[in-house]
Amino acid sequence: MTVTFQLNGEDCRFHGDPMTPLVDILRQERFLTGTKAVCREGFCGACTVHVDDEAVPSCLKPVGLVEGCAVTTIEGLSSGNQALHPLQANLEAADAVQCGMCFPGMVMSLSAFVRDNPHASRPEIKAAMVGNICRCTGYERIVDAVADCLDQARKAGQLVGGINV
Amino acid sequence: MAPGVERSFTAASTLEEAMAARRQGAAVLAGGTCMMRDPRRGIDLPEAVVALHRIPALSKVEIEPDHVVIGAAVTHVVLGRALHGAAGFEGLVAAAQGAANPGIRRVATVGGNLCAFDFAAADLSPALLVCEATVELETFKGPKLLGISDFLKDRHTLLTEAIVTRIHLRRDLIASAHIRLPLRKAGDYPVAIVSLAVDKDKRCRIAVGSVEPVARRWTALEQAMAAGPPSALDPERAAGFALEHNDFQGRDGREAEGWYRRQVLPPLVKRGVAALLKTEGLA
Ligand SMILES: Cc1cc2nc3c(=O)[nH]c(=O)nc-3n(C[C@H](O)[C@H](O)[C@H](O)COP(=O)(O)OP(=O)(O)OC[C@H]3O[C@@H](n4cnc5c(N)ncnc54)[C@H](O)[C@@H]3O)c2cc1C
Ligand code: FES
Ligand code: FES
Repeated sequence: MTVTFQLNGEDCRFHGDPMTPLVDILRQERFLTGTKAVCREGFCGACTVHVDDEAVPSCLKPVGLVEGCAVTTIEGLSSGNQALHPLQANLEAADAVQCGMCFPGMVMSLSAFVRDNPHASRPEIKAAMVGNICRCTGYERIVDAVADCLDQARKAGQLVGGINV
Repeated sequence: MAPGVERSFTAASTLEEAMAARRQGAAVLAGGTCMMRDPRRGIDLPEAVVALHRIPALSKVEIEPDHVVIGAAVTHVVLGRALHGAAGFEGLVAAAQGAANPGIRRVATVGGNLCAFDFAAADLSPALLVCEATVELETFKGPKLLGISDFLKDRHTLLTEAIVTRIHLRRDLIASAHIRLPLRKAGDYPVAIVSLAVDKDKRCRIAVGSVEPVARRWTALEQAMAAGPPSALDPERAAGFALEHNDFQGRDGREAEGWYRRQVLPPLVKRGVAALLKTEGLA
């Protein structure tokens, strides 16, 4: 079967088993190895990507279900040559990253969260992170970075994700 | 799947198309959060699947003054948002917003939650039991309506030739609550779940999930509580009745042993009644 979707803004065509988990196509066919396959059970969040702007685990997403959808991976959030996403910049400034294994998924979950919840409280930030497991950091610096990111956006009168308010 | 065999994948845009695929032997694919884990448990994925996400009628929640209709392909997030603030549905909203983790809730559907019959810890089952929901199925012989208790008991057989299409709820509750006990704060399956509701006649309905293999109403406790005056809805008293009328056989599982699931029920009932008393309908 052929499945067609947008991947980081470009057309992507996949020929093969429509029940292939999206994460395997990203990593093995498109070499977008930022997305990690860790538990493959929906528990760790390391494989999180955006499908039509929603943060979802790509290990449980059969590629057949993304026909016609827009998929964004961590590589699509900022290419490395451009400025970082404000959340990435804040995580870097807070020196929040340790081994980094969880971070692509963490950033994909939280970038959608900050876009949709500009006034989120600390407990709400924590609740948004429960599907992203980090074995290194103890989470608090990540929460600090998200809170700073929202704070800066509010002061600048912007929603994180670029939309002016 | 045999080598060289191509899997059949139908993204149905109508129920008729989905039923035609079912008749040809296709399994229903909803959000995939249960099905996609089958290979890790040594179960092969089906050779033919039919996806429901493109059928508009199955992806909406209709809220009317006297009833609510929930499409089977509605996700937990959409359900929680749609019923947020609707009096009497506090428990169902808490179930939809508290199950699993945010990424799963964006994908996992109501139908998938009710149809995964080997999954005992489904949050929506007890929440819908206290709503006395009616499950609508499209079978090979035509549409069928069934009370949720009967559906949960017989779904193994029913689903061999059916698709769950909608869930119907009457708006006859004044308050409800959903109390779950995961071992961590979030992310893992609940060890035990207690859903409670009070209807317009001030009768208390209680259901328990995850303790036995299939969620069920706790009729012995409901009867004990009905014996007193409705004004006597009290957390301590309810916990006492729960201890006295605990007729559950806890199932042993990876997260917890059966005795533990059974033993935590009275404190969960106590928390549940306390939550009920805080709702707008009873406060
Ligand atoms: C990390 C993780 C944590 C979880 N935690 C919880 C939790 O706390 N609480 C909880 O309740 N659940 C939990 N789940 C379980 C589960 O994934 C969900 O309950 C979910 O609702 C399943 O829905 P789905 O749409 O993904 O189903 P699918 O995986 O698509 O389908 C599941 C089964 O139901 C059948 N099916 C689906 N829809 C229909 C239909 N309309 N008609 C007939 N058959 C149908 C399918 O054929 C399949 O057999 C968790 C899952 C994961 C991965
Ligand atoms: S690899 Fe997908 S959630 Fe862990
Ligand atoms: S930084 Fe190592 S797992 Fe999160």
